[in-house]
Amino acid sequence: MMSTLSFSLLQSDLAQFAPRRGLLSIRRLDGSPNVDVNTPGFITATTRGLVPHLSRDHVRSTSSIRWTHIAFESFLDRVPPIPLLQSGPHSLHKFLGFRPNQHILSLSLRDPSDQRIMPPNGKDHVSAYCMSGVRKVTPQMWKDFTTACTPDIIVALSDTSLSDTNYSQKRLTKSVERSTAWLAHLLQSDAKSTSDPSSPRCRNILVNMAGGDEPRARASFSENLIEMLQGVEFEQVNPLRTLDEGVSGYIFELLPLRNDIRRDAPPAREEAAISSVIPLLKASLGPLPITKPRIAHSTSSPHEILQLIRDVGIDIFDIHWAQRAADIGIALDFSFPVPETHRQSENNDSQRQPLLDSTGRRDLGHNLFDVKYGNDHSSLASYLDEQSSDSATQHPTCPCAACSPHSPASHITHSSVDQTYLDPTTSTAPQHSYSRAYIHHLLHTHEMSSHSLLAMHNIAVMDAFFSGIRQLLETDLKNKESKFLEEVERFCNVYDDKMSMFRLAKEDWSTVELERGKGRLTREKEKEKEKEKEKEREKEKSATTTA
Amino acid sequence: MQFEVIAKCHTTRARVSRMKLAHGVTSLPTFMPVATQAAIKGMKILEEAGGAHQFQGWKHNLLTDSGGFQLVSLNKFTKITEEGALFASPFDGAPTMLTAKESISIQHTIGADIIMQLDDVVSSLTVGPRVAEAMWRTIRWLDRCIETHEKSGKHDVQNLFAIVQGGLDHELRDQCLQEMINRKDRVAGYAIGGLSGGEEKDVFWRIIKQCADKLPEDRPRYSMGIGFAEDLLVCVALGVDMADCVFPTRTARFGVALTFNGPLNLRLAKHASDMGPIDETCPCPTCSDGYSRAFLHHNITIETAAAHAVTQHNLVFQARMMGQARNAIIQGTFPDYLKSFFRNYFGDQGYPEWCINALRSVGVDLLESDPSAKTQTGSGAKWERVDTR
Ligand SMILES: [Zn+2]
Ligand SMILES: [Zn+2]
Repeated sequence: MMSTLSFSLLQSDLAQFAPRRGLLSIRRLDGSPNVDVNTPGFITATTRGLVPHLSRDHVRSTSSIRWTHIAFESFLDRVPPIPLLQSGPHSLHKFLGFRPNQHILSLSLRDPSDQRIMPPNGKDHVSAYCMSGVRKVTPQMWKDFTTACTPDIIVALSDTSLSDTNYSQKRLTKSVERSTAWLAHLLQSDAKSTSDPSSPRCRNILVNMAGGDEPRARASFSENLIEMLQGVEFEQVNPLRTLDEGVSGYIFELLPLRNDIRRDAPPAREEAAISSVIPLLKASLGPLPITKPRIAHSTSSPHEILQLIRDVGIDIFDIHWAQRAADIGIALDFSFPVPETHRQSENNDSQRQPLLDSTGRRDLGHNLFDVKYGNDHSSLASYLDEQSSDSATQHPTCPCAACSPHSPASHITHSSVDQTYLDPTTSTAPQHSYSRAYIHHLLHTHEMSSHSLLAMHNIAVMDAFFSGIRQLLETDLKNKESKFLEEVERFCNVYDDKMSMFRLAKEDWSTVELERGKGRLTREKEKEKEKEKEKEREKEKSATTTA
Repeated sequence: MQFEVIAKCHTTRARVSRMKLAHGVTSLPTFMPVATQAAIKGMKILEEAGGAHQFQGWKHNLLTDSGGFQLVSLNKFTKITEEGALFASPFDGAPTMLTAKESISIQHTIGADIIMQLDDVVSSLTVGPRVAEAMWRTIRWLDRCIETHEKSGKHDVQNLFAIVQGGLDHELRDQCLQEMINRKDRVAGYAIGGLSGGEEKDVFWRIIKQCADKLPEDRPRYSMGIGFAEDLLVCVALGVDMADCVFPTRTARFGVALTFNGPLNLRLAKHASDMGPIDETCPCPTCSDGYSRAFLHHNITIETAAAHAVTQHNLVFQARMMGQARNAIIQGTFPDYLKSFFRNYFGDQGYPEWCINALRSVGVDLLESDPSAKTQTGSGAKWERVDTR
């Protein structure tokens, strides 16, 4: 099933790296409605094909989940990979339970948020990870998988994974060459698919920007993309005149990039600052047209997102860190622009805002494991509070299923006598927000639903954050102002960018896991897995050296 | 509580009734899923929140246990005295006493529609004078619970159930039943307690039958901790109206999906490329959406979202099985329903002998149309792997 991706920017005369406001749209050629993502906007991350902690009902009722990214590698356990067994149109949507008229699905081989150091890629393969070990995936396999699955968007293979070997100049050149060749391969039409309407050329392809932490290598990859093709190379991708013509947008994977920076500049142990990443992204974008969407994977804070919008003009971000905050009991509570009530520079016990730390920065949310939430009966988010103070009638609340729960629209009845007893008045009455105390209780009693509620809430907070960014960019555009820059500055001054709350929450989470007794088993299982991975890696290494 | 029997099986002791509580009407027989088992730290939170219905955003009926069973099964340091259960607080280790009075006021704060008396629980494998002691103490504690409950002014919205004890001793059970039936006007319903799953199945059903036969017609009968399909249907046939168990939700987390053809272990490789749902005919959100066994296999026991999907299915399975039983009782076809259910559920694996015996005692012969059908001894649960519980 074909679909086309279009991207348009609101601004007409735009500087190359200026903040931008746009609309990305997937139009399906079967006449179903477009799925739109306003930019700056976000991609929902998945693990093993699932939005972590959410049931299918949850995913569908969370309207801010529009574009979801899937990593294919977990399915490599089996041959053929099971998503290929699903038949019919939109087979990947069907297999994973997403709705074509509600969700955009993009598919990459590797999980962009996987921190694993992988065995090096080969000349004709990418090393991918699944439960049973490392698998080699060739460009042809990737083409076959993606042709069979029909995602809306395909990420081309690239030689950009995390690796612990030092990149020599030669190695970098090779990586750029490989990534270029693999993209070209994906853009080629196969003999068998020329008559097929879903031939790869008609698909929407995104490309990872290769070149590691070397600006010249990055620029040279981009130059490969826009170079006019000649001879055989042209014949193969005809009617495309350049590779870039077959590319719908550019991806930056920050994890491998930061890994490269750190590895090449020892002894830096800390994560590379976003300021050292920015020039590298600019080096890639320099030669390229400004009209295509720019996507960044694996930012680690809202501060970084704002800086990448401000300094590079990135359009779309995954929100993996915000979704994963739900694992460790965090309810996010921040907004952009910074709300009035979060600007106060003193802690006030009677208030529900996130705490200020010793440096006067406010936490990005609430660590609900903390005993102080044990009798906090208020709802999760305080960032909307100020708006409700002047209008007593309409209290804006977070639209997530934790803050604005809905009763199911229908009930399943199981016998003839059940029907008559259903009371319509109780089933449609509005429900109260779940309280911080309730979720605190669920966390301490190991109930899975705590993580579901938090994941939905955190996604809603991120949606509001991006919507705040877009609104301000629009206002600036209309008034020819640059309030956005001021507000980014203010955001970075008000909220803690060290994410210290995340560290504390993680500690609390592991203590509770430990109390459960299951903690030990989980850790043992992890260790066992790690050992196996190590073995795989050794095997893989010896295999590549003998090859 | 309004309790009304609306249909009776012409052969077995099964019946359909309606139970009207403060939060709605429930059709019986029914299976009640168990929510969190953990104790809530201090009752202050719930008091502030206005009870468990408010706290959890649950608008339907709720039942709470007295804490007696949990204390015994989860805390090996619990000491039972005449006053109550003495245990080390799981929060600060301090010695804490749960008395009958205290247990009832906690349950008043929680605000469930049905509350349970504090009982003195002993394992069903216990023998000797301790069993009788526990039974008589349970009766004395019932009196204290009734007194607290009647004084509270909550007995028009909350309903107190007595718990029949007496271990596996028919004589003790009879004495307990008689004492508790004497208090019928002051209790809303009866639970059958003290059957923890360790006992022989042929002993289990006989105790259930003895209690269900004696318990008054106009009170709901609740069998505690029963969740396997065959146990539930046998209990219903013997006259039980309600049951509860963690089993369907817990087993889902371990990857077992319940079906009318027996439990499926989704972790087994045979499901890895099966694109069909758990059950084509199931109306649950998981099956009706076409969630494939293959995708469940891919994520079960790894991702919580897959556990949610199987949990939803298992709870709907339990509800369907009980709903079909209600329909069959109303339509006068319950004996046939039992036969076809057992045939499908146990298939060529063979009928559990204890089920055959139990159902014969109420006039249903599972082997009637096929006397040479395979049978099996033992507990008879059909598991694709034994380590899934
Ligand atoms: Zn919310
Ligand atoms: Zn189902």
